[in-house]
Amino acid sequence: MNADDWLRAFAAELYQRRVGGDAARHVVAEAATHLREGGGDPWLVFGSPQAYAAAIVESIGTAPGPRPGPVRLHARGITKRYGRHVVLRDASLTVRAGQIAAVVGANGCGKSTFLRICAGLVSPDAGEVAVSGRLSYCPQQGGTADFLLPDEHFVLVGAGQGVPRGPARQAGRAAARNLGWDAEDAALARHLSGGTRQKLNLTMSTLTQPDVLLLDEPYQGFDQGSYVNLWDQLTRLRDEGRAIVVVTHLLNQLDRVDVVLDLTPAHQGGRS
Amino acid sequence: MDSDRRGQWLRGVLDLCVLALLRDGESYGYQLAQSLDAVGVGPIQGGTLYPVLLRLQRTGLVTAQWREGGSGPARKYYQLTDDGRAALRQGGNAWLAFVAPVTSIVTKGVDG
Amino acid sequence: MNRLVTVAEMTLRELARRRGVLLLLLLMPLTFWLIRRDSYVGQSVRALLLGISWAVSTAALFATSAARELEPRLRLAGYRPHHLYIGRMLGLWALGLAIAVPFFLLTVVDANNLRYGGIAVAMLCCVAVAAPFGMLIGALLPRELEGTLLLLTVVAMQMLLDPADAGAKLTPFWSSREIGTWAVDHTDDGYLTRGVLHGLVVTVLLIATVAGVFAVRLRRRRHLHQVPIA
Repeated sequence: MNADDWLRAFAAELYQRRVGGDAARHVVAEAATHLREGGGDPWLVFGSPQAYAAAIVESIGTAPGPRPGPVRLHARGITKRYGRHVVLRDASLTVRAGQIAAVVGANGCGKSTFLRICAGLVSPDAGEVAVSGRLSYCPQQGGTADFLLPDEHFVLVGAGQGVPRGPARQAGRAAARNLGWDAEDAALARHLSGGTRQKLNLTMSTLTQPDVLLLDEPYQGFDQGSYVNLWDQLTRLRDEGRAIVVVTHLLNQLDRVDVVLDLTPAHQGGRS
Repeated sequence: MDSDRRGQWLRGVLDLCVLALLRDGESYGYQLAQSLDAVGVGPIQGGTLYPVLLRLQRTGLVTAQWREGGSGPARKYYQLTDDGRAALRQGGNAWLAFVAPVTSIVTKGVDG
Repeated sequence: MNRLVTVAEMTLRELARRRGVLLLLLLMPLTFWLIRRDSYVGQSVRALLLGISWAVSTAALFATSAARELEPRLRLAGYRPHHLYIGRMLGLWALGLAIAVPFFLLTVVDANNLRYGGIAVAMLCCVAVAAPFGMLIGALLPRELEGTLLLLTVVAMQMLLDPADAGAKLTPFWSSREIGTWAVDHTDDGYLTRGVLHGLVVTVLLIATVAGVFAVRLRRRRHLHQVPIA
């Protein structure tokens, strides 16, 4: 990890800890200046990005995070069988505006099915989902058109809401840049690497300004930097008041979420 | 010297050292670290120094200002405020009152 | 309107980039024509019409399969089902015309004593029917391979059945064969009328079925309730 990576990770950590915009920018800029003048390994000079961000938070306090808003997604009693195999039993989840929920659990415990039910793509055998506002869904794979350019994807998604081509392209490229991806000169979707295609997938789902964003393991094929950018972006969307549900099979310390639904059969029913 | 112990002492007194260094004029983080090292306090890492500066700024003992350096990058310059001057006087006296007896005891122990 | 045009445009862009597939698709009508052209012009026209039907319906099948995962997201992004299937159909019809025109010119240059207007109408029927027909198969069968095999069966059946047979009228491309006969053999106008009518009816039925399948597939599910934002 070089100095720039360290600074980026540090900025992401501050963001996660809800250190306000200007304050965070100044602290990062000061650290950057220090590293430029004194050189040295940021890990020795400042320690880990996490620890240093924690020290900063202790020194200056944080802006009070926006309070979770009204309920945006309420799934209750979701049960789904495939034949005699019960995939989901009475699963429930409530997510408010300004919250990130993680749906976790072992492989095959129905995480993706749960999300598809929330998105209205699959009908459950029992249970209901109430959604307020616009819904957007990012599938685990597929969801892009092999023979279209990223720009054309943006135009296609934009036209759904009556956004003209130029602005749709600009919005798409800007959203892609938030994930550290330059979509302007990109190739056809079929020639993109797995991780980049996933960024296209994600960009498409945030482009519609959704109130509820459903993401199915959105980081497949991501390197560490992209992963940091992703959580940076998700935190930003959360702070804008969106409700986000992320299906994931592992949670690490980067992923600060507000609600966890564990679908592993042992604790079926979930907690929140 | 046991660096853990030195770190503990420093934690208690670094803010006073910074205030004292700023008494003669404004300075910025990297320069403060170098001054501290030069007078023999030892190397101070950024990870220790900046949280202290931020705390001093938050409590109004110093103010800060971003300015372009003559040739180098923009730096955040810290200046002592009147409150800071008062805090330095008060805290400095308290520190001196504390180290004098400590020094005297320890000196006897070491010499004996 | 903008949504329809955008979907149509993207369908065309996608297909235009699948050049290899397109060339192979065009090869079939061309070889049909070339194989039959020395013996009997009627057979070669008939084979050409079937070849066009095959090419356009296969393209429709591919386009529909490729969009299977994308469509639910576009639905959430503000498209109604009819934007998606009509837009795609418009794109495919445009592609079909682009395929048909050179073949029409081929018949004009290469064969004599035909009712060329009839050839044109027969080709229009092929294109009109093939787009929704390929889309329907693409929507019902999950994989391209299965759909392609089914299309092949339909085309082969169409070629082998006696058009006078009552059952032959149930095949989707009967109209083009009937109009083709009128154009090549200078038969009475009943052939033309029956053919055009058949083409229209089949096209309308297929569009309605496609509409039904898409409406079901992209329906708002009952368990999902939309609560107005407070």
